Amino acid sequence: MTLLLLVSSWNMAGLYSVYRAIKKKQLIFDEHFTAALCMVVTMTSSFFMGLFLKMVFPGWTLFAVLSGVFISWKFSSLLRSPAKMNGLYNGGMGGMMGTMLGAVVQNPALCKITAESAAEIEMLPLFVACLYAITLLLVRYSLRA
Amino acid sequence: MEALILPYLLFIDVLLYSVFFVYAFRKKKLIGIQLGMNISQVMGGTAALLSGIVLVLEFPFHFTLITVVSTITGILTGALFGLLFDYQTFLAGLTNGMIAGLMAPMIGSALDMPGQVVWLVHGIFFSCLVLIMIFIQRS
Repeated sequence: MTLLLLVSSWNMAGLYSVYRAIKKKQLIFDEHFTAALCMVVTMTSSFFMGLFLKMVFPGWTLFAVLSGVFISWKFSSLLRSPAKMNGLYNGGMGGMMGTMLGAVVQNPALCKITAESAAEIEMLPLFVACLYAITLLLVRYSLRA
Repeated sequence: MEALILPYLLFIDVLLYSVFFVYAFRKKKLIGIQLGMNISQVMGGTAALLSGIVLVLEFPFHFTLITVVSTITGILTGALFGLLFDYQTFLAGLTNGMIAGLMAPMIGSALDMPGQVVWLVHGIFFSCLVLIMIFIQRS
Protein backbone atom coordinates (compact mmCIF):
# COMPACT_ATOMS: atom_id res chain seq x y z
CA MET A 1 0.00 0.00 0.00
CA THR A 2 2.89 2.37 0.79
CA LEU A 3 4.40 1.65 -2.61
CA LEU A 4 1.03 2.35 -4.25
CA LEU A 5 0.77 5.69 -2.44
CA LEU A 6 4.29 6.66 -3.57
CA VAL A 7 3.67 5.68 -7.20
CA SER A 8 0.32 7.44 -7.30
CA SER A 9 1.70 10.68 -5.84
CA TRP A 10 4.39 10.55 -8.56
CA ASN A 11 1.63 10.06 -11.15
CA MET A 12 -0.40 12.95 -9.74
CA ALA A 13 2.63 15.22 -10.13
CA GLY A 14 2.99 14.01 -13.72
CA LEU A 15 -0.69 14.69 -14.40
CA TYR A 16 -0.36 18.22 -13.00
CA SER A 17 2.65 18.94 -15.20
CA VAL A 18 0.70 17.75 -18.27
CA TYR A 19 -2.18 20.06 -17.24
CA ARG A 20 0.22 23.02 -16.93
CA ALA A 21 1.78 22.27 -20.32
CA ILE A 22 -1.63 22.05 -22.05
CA LYS A 23 -2.78 25.26 -20.37
CA LYS A 24 0.31 27.08 -21.56
CA LYS A 25 0.14 25.91 -25.17
CA GLN A 26 -3.59 25.52 -25.74
CA LEU A 27 -3.86 28.02 -28.58
CA ILE A 28 -1.47 26.30 -30.97
CA PHE A 29 -3.20 22.91 -31.23
CA ASP A 30 -5.15 21.83 -34.29
CA GLU A 31 -8.46 19.93 -34.29
CA HIS A 32 -7.16 16.41 -34.70
CA PHE A 33 -4.48 16.75 -32.07
CA THR A 34 -6.97 18.22 -29.61
CA ALA A 35 -9.42 15.33 -29.97
CA ALA A 36 -6.70 12.66 -29.66
CA LEU A 37 -5.05 14.32 -26.67
CA CYS A 38 -8.34 14.81 -24.84
CA MET A 39 -9.33 11.17 -25.34
CA VAL A 40 -5.98 9.74 -24.28
CA VAL A 41 -5.41 11.86 -21.18
CA THR A 42 -8.94 11.76 -19.76
CA MET A 43 -9.45 8.03 -20.32
CA THR A 44 -6.23 6.86 -18.68
CA SER A 45 -6.17 9.35 -15.84
CA SER A 46 -9.78 8.79 -14.80
CA PHE A 47 -9.20 5.02 -14.94
CA PHE A 48 -6.19 5.35 -12.67
CA MET A 49 -7.92 7.76 -10.29
CA GLY A 50 -10.96 5.48 -9.98
CA LEU A 51 -8.77 2.46 -9.25
CA PHE A 52 -6.58 4.28 -6.74
CA LEU A 53 -9.42 5.94 -4.82
CA LYS A 54 -11.36 2.67 -4.68
CA MET A 55 -8.25 0.99 -3.22
CA VAL A 56 -7.66 3.69 -0.59
CA PHE A 57 -11.30 4.49 0.39
CA PRO A 58 -13.21 1.21 -0.20
CA GLY A 59 -16.62 2.52 0.83
CA TRP A 60 -16.74 5.64 -1.32
CA THR A 61 -17.59 4.26 -4.76
CA LEU A 62 -19.49 7.30 -6.00
CA PHE A 63 -16.59 9.55 -4.96
CA ALA A 64 -14.19 7.47 -7.09
CA VAL A 65 -16.43 7.71 -10.17
CA LEU A 66 -17.08 11.42 -9.71
CA SER A 67 -13.37 12.18 -9.34
CA GLY A 68 -12.84 10.68 -12.81
CA VAL A 69 -15.60 12.90 -14.18
CA PHE A 70 -14.05 15.92 -12.39
CA ILE A 71 -10.60 15.30 -13.92
CA SER A 72 -12.06 14.93 -17.39
CA TRP A 73 -14.11 18.09 -16.90
CA LYS A 74 -11.03 20.08 -15.83
CA PHE A 75 -9.04 18.85 -18.82
CA SER A 76 -11.75 19.21 -21.42
CA SER A 77 -12.72 22.71 -20.27
CA LEU A 78 -9.29 23.81 -21.53
CA LEU A 79 -10.11 22.64 -25.05
CA ARG A 80 -12.77 23.38 -27.64
CA SER A 81 -16.41 22.28 -27.50
CA PRO A 82 -16.48 19.00 -29.55
CA ALA A 83 -13.49 17.78 -27.55
CA LYS A 84 -15.37 18.66 -24.36
CA MET A 85 -18.09 16.11 -25.11
CA ASN A 86 -15.53 13.46 -26.06
CA GLY A 87 -13.58 14.08 -22.87
CA LEU A 88 -16.60 13.94 -20.57
CA TYR A 89 -17.78 10.66 -22.12
CA ASN A 90 -14.36 9.05 -21.91
CA GLY A 91 -13.80 10.30 -18.38
CA GLY A 92 -17.06 8.87 -17.04
CA MET A 93 -16.41 5.55 -18.77
CA GLY A 94 -12.84 5.33 -17.49
CA GLY A 95 -13.87 6.22 -13.94
CA MET A 96 -16.50 3.49 -13.87
CA MET A 97 -14.15 0.85 -15.28
CA GLY A 98 -11.37 1.75 -12.84
CA THR A 99 -13.77 1.49 -9.92
CA MET A 100 -14.85 -1.92 -11.20
CA LEU A 101 -11.24 -3.14 -11.36
CA GLY A 102 -10.68 -1.83 -7.82
CA ALA A 103 -13.71 -3.73 -6.54
CA VAL A 104 -12.45 -6.95 -8.15
CA VAL A 105 -8.97 -6.49 -6.65
CA GLN A 106 -10.46 -6.08 -3.18
CA ASN A 107 -12.87 -9.02 -3.46
CA PRO A 108 -11.68 -11.56 -6.08
CA ALA A 109 -14.70 -13.79 -5.52
CA LEU A 110 -16.78 -11.30 -7.55
CA CYS A 111 -15.29 -12.68 -10.76
CA LYS A 112 -15.01 -16.31 -9.59
CA ILE A 113 -11.24 -15.98 -9.41
CA THR A 114 -9.69 -18.99 -7.70
CA ALA A 115 -7.72 -18.77 -4.45
CA GLU A 116 -4.35 -19.50 -6.11
CA SER A 117 -4.45 -16.48 -8.35
CA ALA A 118 -6.19 -14.33 -5.74
CA ALA A 119 -2.91 -14.01 -3.85
CA GLU A 120 -1.04 -12.31 -6.66
CA ILE A 121 -3.85 -10.02 -7.80
CA GLU A 122 -2.47 -7.35 -5.42
CA MET A 123 0.21 -6.66 -8.05
CA LEU A 124 -2.35 -5.44 -10.58
CA PRO A 125 -2.66 -1.79 -9.35
CA LEU A 126 1.13 -1.39 -9.50
CA PHE A 127 1.11 -2.67 -13.08
CA VAL A 128 -1.62 -0.16 -13.97
CA ALA A 129 0.39 2.62 -12.29
CA CYS A 130 3.49 1.74 -14.34
CA LEU A 131 1.45 1.74 -17.58
CA TYR A 132 -0.06 5.10 -16.64
CA ALA A 133 3.39 6.59 -15.97
CA ILE A 134 4.57 5.40 -19.42
CA THR A 135 1.47 6.93 -21.05
CA LEU A 136 2.09 10.25 -19.30
CA LEU A 137 5.71 10.21 -20.51
CA LEU A 138 4.54 9.67 -24.10
CA VAL A 139 1.98 12.49 -23.79
CA ARG A 140 4.60 14.87 -22.40
CA TYR A 141 6.95 13.92 -25.25
CA SER A 142 4.23 14.73 -27.80
CA LEU A 143 3.54 18.09 -26.12
CA ARG A 144 7.19 19.14 -26.29
CA ALA A 145 7.45 18.22 -29.97
CA MET B 1 -17.06 -24.47 -25.24
CA GLU B 2 -14.77 -27.35 -26.07
CA ALA B 3 -11.20 -26.67 -25.07
CA LEU B 4 -10.14 -28.17 -28.40
CA ILE B 5 -11.39 -25.29 -30.53
CA LEU B 6 -9.86 -22.39 -28.57
CA PRO B 7 -6.20 -22.75 -29.68
CA TYR B 8 -7.30 -22.98 -33.33
CA LEU B 9 -9.40 -19.82 -32.92
CA LEU B 10 -6.42 -18.00 -31.40
CA PHE B 11 -4.20 -19.14 -34.27
CA ILE B 12 -6.75 -17.95 -36.86
CA ASP B 13 -6.96 -14.56 -35.12
CA VAL B 14 -3.18 -14.09 -35.13
CA LEU B 15 -3.10 -15.06 -38.81
CA LEU B 16 -5.90 -12.59 -39.67
CA TYR B 17 -4.17 -9.80 -37.76
CA SER B 18 -0.87 -10.32 -39.58
CA VAL B 19 -2.58 -10.51 -42.99
CA PHE B 20 -4.54 -7.35 -42.27
CA PHE B 21 -1.41 -5.56 -41.05
CA VAL B 22 0.35 -6.31 -44.34
CA TYR B 23 -2.76 -5.15 -46.25
CA ALA B 24 -2.94 -1.87 -44.30
CA PHE B 25 0.80 -1.35 -44.72
CA ARG B 26 0.44 -1.56 -48.50
CA LYS B 27 -2.57 0.77 -48.63
CA LYS B 28 -1.00 3.22 -46.15
CA LYS B 29 -0.96 6.10 -48.60
CA LEU B 30 -4.71 5.81 -49.33
CA ILE B 31 -5.90 5.93 -45.72
CA GLY B 32 -6.76 9.33 -44.27
CA ILE B 33 -6.12 10.51 -40.76
CA GLN B 34 -9.67 9.95 -39.49
CA LEU B 35 -9.92 6.39 -40.80
CA GLY B 36 -6.44 5.64 -39.48
CA MET B 37 -7.43 6.66 -35.97
CA ASN B 38 -10.50 4.43 -36.08
CA ILE B 39 -8.49 1.51 -37.49
CA SER B 40 -5.91 1.68 -34.70
CA GLN B 41 -8.57 1.93 -31.98
CA VAL B 42 -10.69 -0.93 -33.30
CA MET B 43 -7.71 -3.20 -33.89
CA GLY B 44 -6.17 -2.59 -30.45
CA GLY B 45 -9.49 -3.01 -28.63
CA THR B 46 -10.52 -6.21 -30.39
CA ALA B 47 -7.06 -7.76 -30.04
CA ALA B 48 -7.10 -7.17 -26.30
CA LEU B 49 -10.71 -8.41 -25.98
CA LEU B 50 -10.10 -11.60 -27.96
CA SER B 51 -6.83 -12.49 -26.23
CA GLY B 52 -8.24 -11.76 -22.77
CA ILE B 53 -11.45 -13.78 -23.11
CA VAL B 54 -9.95 -16.74 -24.97
CA LEU B 55 -6.87 -17.04 -22.73
CA VAL B 56 -8.91 -16.84 -19.52
CA LEU B 57 -11.22 -19.58 -20.75
CA GLU B 58 -8.19 -21.69 -21.70
CA PHE B 59 -6.21 -21.21 -18.43
CA PRO B 60 -8.66 -20.22 -15.63
CA PHE B 61 -6.05 -20.38 -12.83
CA HIS B 62 -3.68 -17.59 -13.90
CA PHE B 63 -5.80 -14.45 -13.79
CA THR B 64 -3.09 -11.85 -13.10
CA LEU B 65 -0.62 -13.21 -15.64
CA ILE B 66 -3.32 -13.30 -18.31
CA THR B 67 -4.33 -9.71 -17.53
CA VAL B 68 -0.71 -8.62 -18.05
CA VAL B 69 -0.42 -10.64 -21.28
CA SER B 70 -3.68 -9.35 -22.79
CA THR B 71 -2.83 -5.75 -21.85
CA ILE B 72 0.56 -6.03 -23.55
CA THR B 73 -1.11 -7.63 -26.58
CA GLY B 74 -3.58 -4.76 -26.86
CA ILE B 75 -0.87 -2.14 -26.42
CA LEU B 76 1.39 -3.72 -29.04
CA THR B 77 -1.39 -4.17 -31.60
CA GLY B 78 -2.79 -0.68 -31.16
CA ALA B 79 0.68 0.86 -31.27
CA LEU B 80 1.72 -1.10 -34.38
CA PHE B 81 -1.42 -0.13 -36.29
CA GLY B 82 -1.13 3.43 -35.04
CA LEU B 83 2.52 3.78 -36.06
CA LEU B 84 1.47 3.30 -39.69
CA PHE B 85 -0.11 6.75 -39.68
CA ASP B 86 0.71 9.34 -37.03
CA TYR B 87 1.89 10.00 -33.48
CA GLN B 88 -1.64 10.82 -32.30
CA THR B 89 -3.04 7.60 -33.79
CA PHE B 90 -0.25 5.74 -32.01
CA LEU B 91 -1.26 7.24 -28.64
CA ALA B 92 -4.98 6.59 -29.21
CA GLY B 93 -4.48 2.95 -30.21
CA LEU B 94 -2.11 2.36 -27.30
CA THR B 95 -4.46 3.65 -24.61
CA ASN B 96 -7.54 1.99 -26.09
CA GLY B 97 -5.77 -1.37 -26.19
CA MET B 98 -4.57 -0.85 -22.62
CA ILE B 99 -8.04 -0.14 -21.19
CA ALA B 100 -9.70 -2.98 -23.12
CA GLY B 101 -6.94 -5.40 -22.14
CA LEU B 102 -7.31 -4.58 -18.45
CA MET B 103 -11.06 -5.22 -18.65
CA ALA B 104 -11.23 -8.30 -20.90
CA PRO B 105 -10.11 -11.11 -18.49
CA MET B 106 -12.70 -9.89 -15.97
CA ILE B 107 -15.45 -10.41 -18.55
CA GLY B 108 -14.01 -13.79 -19.47
CA SER B 109 -13.91 -15.13 -15.93
CA ALA B 110 -17.37 -13.82 -14.99
CA LEU B 111 -19.07 -15.47 -17.97
CA ASP B 112 -22.03 -17.79 -17.54
CA MET B 113 -22.20 -19.33 -21.02
CA PRO B 114 -18.72 -18.92 -22.52
CA GLY B 115 -19.44 -20.53 -25.90
CA GLN B 116 -21.92 -17.98 -27.16
CA VAL B 117 -19.86 -15.01 -25.99
CA VAL B 118 -16.71 -16.28 -27.69
CA TRP B 119 -18.59 -16.57 -30.98
CA LEU B 120 -20.19 -13.14 -30.43
CA VAL B 121 -16.80 -11.47 -29.92
CA HIS B 122 -15.39 -13.23 -32.98
CA GLY B 123 -18.44 -12.11 -34.98
CA ILE B 124 -17.83 -8.52 -33.91
CA PHE B 125 -14.16 -8.82 -34.91
CA PHE B 126 -14.92 -10.28 -38.36
CA SER B 127 -17.61 -7.68 -39.09
CA CYS B 128 -15.22 -4.87 -38.05
CA LEU B 129 -12.58 -6.33 -40.36
CA VAL B 130 -15.02 -6.51 -43.31
CA LEU B 131 -16.25 -2.95 -42.67
CA ILE B 132 -12.69 -1.59 -42.50
CA MET B 133 -11.82 -3.40 -45.76
CA ILE B 134 -14.87 -1.82 -47.46
CA PHE B 135 -13.94 1.67 -46.22
CA ILE B 136 -10.32 1.27 -47.33
CA GLN B 137 -11.51 0.24 -50.80
CA ARG B 138 -13.79 3.26 -50.98
CA SER B 139 -11.23 5.83 -49.90
